Amino acid sequence: MELFRLSMLGGLLGLDGTAVGQFMISRPLVAGWLAGWLAGVPELGATIGAILELYLLVSFPTGGARFPEGSTAAVVAVAVATPFGGPGAVALAVAMGLVWGQVGGWSVTVQRRVNGRLVQRLLEMGSSSGGLIRLHLVTILIDFLRGAVITSVGIGVGRFALGLVEAGWPLSKEFSVGALYMGAAVSLGILLHDLGGFRRRRVLFAAGLALGIVGARFL
Amino acid sequence: MLFRSLLIQGAWNYGTMLGPGFAFTLLPVLRRVHAEDPAALASSIERHAEHFNAHPYLASVALGAVARMESDGADNETVRRFKTALRGPLGGLGDTLVWATWLPLVAVGALVLYWFGVPGWVATLTFVVVYNVGHLGLRAWGLRLGLEAGRDVGTRLTEADLGGWARRLQHLLVLGLGVLSGTILGAPDGLGSFGPVVAGLAVVGFVAGLVGGHRAWRPAAAVMVVVIALIGAWGILS
Repeated sequence: MELFRLSMLGGLLGLDGTAVGQFMISRPLVAGWLAGWLAGVPELGATIGAILELYLLVSFPTGGARFPEGSTAAVVAVAVATPFGGPGAVALAVAMGLVWGQVGGWSVTVQRRVNGRLVQRLLEMGSSSGGLIRLHLVTILIDFLRGAVITSVGIGVGRFALGLVEAGWPLSKEFSVGALYMGAAVSLGILLHDLGGFRRRRVLFAAGLALGIVGARFL
Repeated sequence: MLFRSLLIQGAWNYGTMLGPGFAFTLLPVLRRVHAEDPAALASSIERHAEHFNAHPYLASVALGAVARMESDGADNETVRRFKTALRGPLGGLGDTLVWATWLPLVAVGALVLYWFGVPGWVATLTFVVVYNVGHLGLRAWGLRLGLEAGRDVGTRLTEADLGGWARRLQHLLVLGLGVLSGTILGAPDGLGSFGPVVAGLAVVGFVAGLVGGHRAWRPAAAVMVVVIALIGAWGILS
């Protein structure tokens, strides 16, 4: 039942990524918390979502670009981490989420090719308002199923893989999560690069850095 | 139309991109304009389902303007040329303002809240509410602008100075990025607490991203996954 609910969530959030609304509830921060809430571990979901959000801070659904699917990554990571309480569970689940986010991105590319064929067929058959509405219903349904299937397979594969590795994890929980920040730091660097680089933005960035360090220490 | 515009990417594809969604969103207007002539309706659906691309939120500007032009009886070629002229600016402006500025700004703000110890649901809810105030506001503003200005929407778009808004918000984003980095580094259980080696490696990662840009993302994520897999494998073997 839990797998079914999480797969449905994967399908719904997959829709938000491109096809329906783009309210950004498919961002890892939101998807992680929602998956955690459904699985009964909202704070674990928020932690995993926040870490994945750091990694995917520079990944946006722009035009035809292929991007890692953040909702799949977050739902799979939370679902994979939930049954395992060991110190490596979060780190291994985030790694699994990052891998499966790429699989999700690939499936979006396939979906868009399928959409192209369906649109071509509509145009060849002569466009009608009924045909156009049916086209949208069908493509949205396919996208939902795509998200749900990719999520459920990811959860199955991830739980199997984590079951093999997790018991022997040699690092502490705190250190494992800390190690994840090292990779996330790359995304923060990329974002500053996109905003003009350190030379142009050094004063504002340094001011923010000082504020953050002081705030984290004393608030 | 505003509600329908939420599905504008429902049939997004590499050939016609937003085209089918554009026709789908415009359908109530086209039905009204061509109520007496089914052949003209089919022809106009086909024309609007052709290739079109723009940022999904700012596409509402084009939708409003085209709805006005269709209602005013503009000829097909004028509407086609108008759409072609508008799609580049709407794509570029939307990508800069929304994807490259607004989304990361609100996400960084929510992450700062989270690492400052605010409960996860509060940070998440804050992100969703604040982001969508901007998102839905932009869609509604764009549709209204298009409907009011019709084919003169280009001038009104220039006057709105969306690029200037993006630049101003980017200052705030840089500050937020600094605060987020400082919070992760300085929090009691943050990066700084793992000693100089881990903190130093994070700084190396940050510099790699700063220098390499987006080229650095996939290799960095791959290295992270491989390192975690190797630690796991080492744990099993030992």
